[in-house]
Amino acid sequence: MWISARVEGMDYYSNKKNRVKGIIVAHGNLAEELISTTELIVGKVSDFYAVSGSNMSSEDVVKRIKEILSDGETEKAVIFVDYFGGSTYTNSIRAVRDMDNIYVISGVNLPIILDFVTKREAFDFGEMLHHLIERGKESIRILK
Amino acid sequence: MIVFVRVDDRLIHGQVVLGWGRVLKPDRYVIIDDEVAETDWESELFMDAAPEGANVSILTVDEALKRFEEGIFDSERVFVLVKTPGTLLELVDKGFKVDKINIGGLHYSEGRERLTENIYLSEVDREALRELAKKGIKLEARALPESEKVVLNSMVI
Repeated sequence: MWISARVEGMDYYSNKKNRVKGIIVAHGNLAEELISTTELIVGKVSDFYAVSGSNMSSEDVVKRIKEILSDGETEKAVIFVDYFGGSTYTNSIRAVRDMDNIYVISGVNLPIILDFVTKREAFDFGEMLHHLIERGKESIRILK
Repeated sequence: MIVFVRVDDRLIHGQVVLGWGRVLKPDRYVIIDDEVAETDWESELFMDAAPEGANVSILTVDEALKRFEEGIFDSERVFVLVKTPGTLLELVDKGFKVDKINIGGLHYSEGRERLTENIYLSEVDREALRELAKKGIKLEARALPESEKVVLNSMVI
C-alpha cells in the first residue's frame, strides 16, 4: 500500500506540465550529492539538475546553466546556489540576469531542496521562494 | 600597499575571499578589467560578492594605473585581481611595478591547454606569461595559501 501511494505521488510530480525546474549550482560535488541524497529520501526526482563549477571555466558554467533552461519548455525555474559571494553565485546571476521567472537563491541546504521537490507545484511561484527561504532558515537551530 | 597580485578568471570568489583573504587580510580588493569596469551589472555583482568590511574598486587598466600613481590606496592593504595574464602584461607595459604574480585559476574551456592542475592556457595567455617571465617577474601558481607553489617561469619560456 505504502509503495503504491509513493508511486502515485511520484507520477503526480513528474507528469505535471509547466513545472518549476530546479538547478543546484555548487562547489565540488555538492550539487550532485545533494540531488542523490534527495533521491535517497523521496525517490527519483525529475526536472532537477546539478551543475558543478569545479574544473570548468566561468563561461562554461554560464553556458551549461543557459542550456538547461533553454530546452523550450522551461517557463519557471529556481537556481539554488551554495555560497553567496562565490563563483557559483556570480556565474548563476550572469546566466539568468536577463530571464524572467528564473530566480536565484543562495545558502542551499537539504531541507530547502526536500521542500522544493515535494511542494514545487503546490505553491504560487513567488510565494514558494519565500516559503523555501523560511524553510531553510527555520531548519538552522541550536539544538544543544 | 599592494600585498598580492593574482590572475584568476573568477576574480572575487570563495578561494580568494576565504582562502587568501583570511591570510592576507586585505582592506581593499582592486579588480582591474576593462570589460567588467565598463559593465554596471557585473561591477555590482562583484561588489556584492566581496566580504563585509572589505572595500572593492573595479577599474579599467588606465584608471588603475592612475589611482596607483596618485597613491590613493597607499594606506591600505590592496589585493589586486585580474582575469587574464594579458591584462597584467598591459599593466606592466604601461608602468605597473610588480616582481611576483600569483597565478590562481585559469579554468579549462575549449582550445585551452593544460599547464598545471588548475591552469589551462590559451595561446594568448601563454604568450602574455612568456612576456612577463622575460621581464623577470616571478610567476607562481598556487590556488590556496596552503597549496604547493609551482614556479611557472621555466614552463612558459
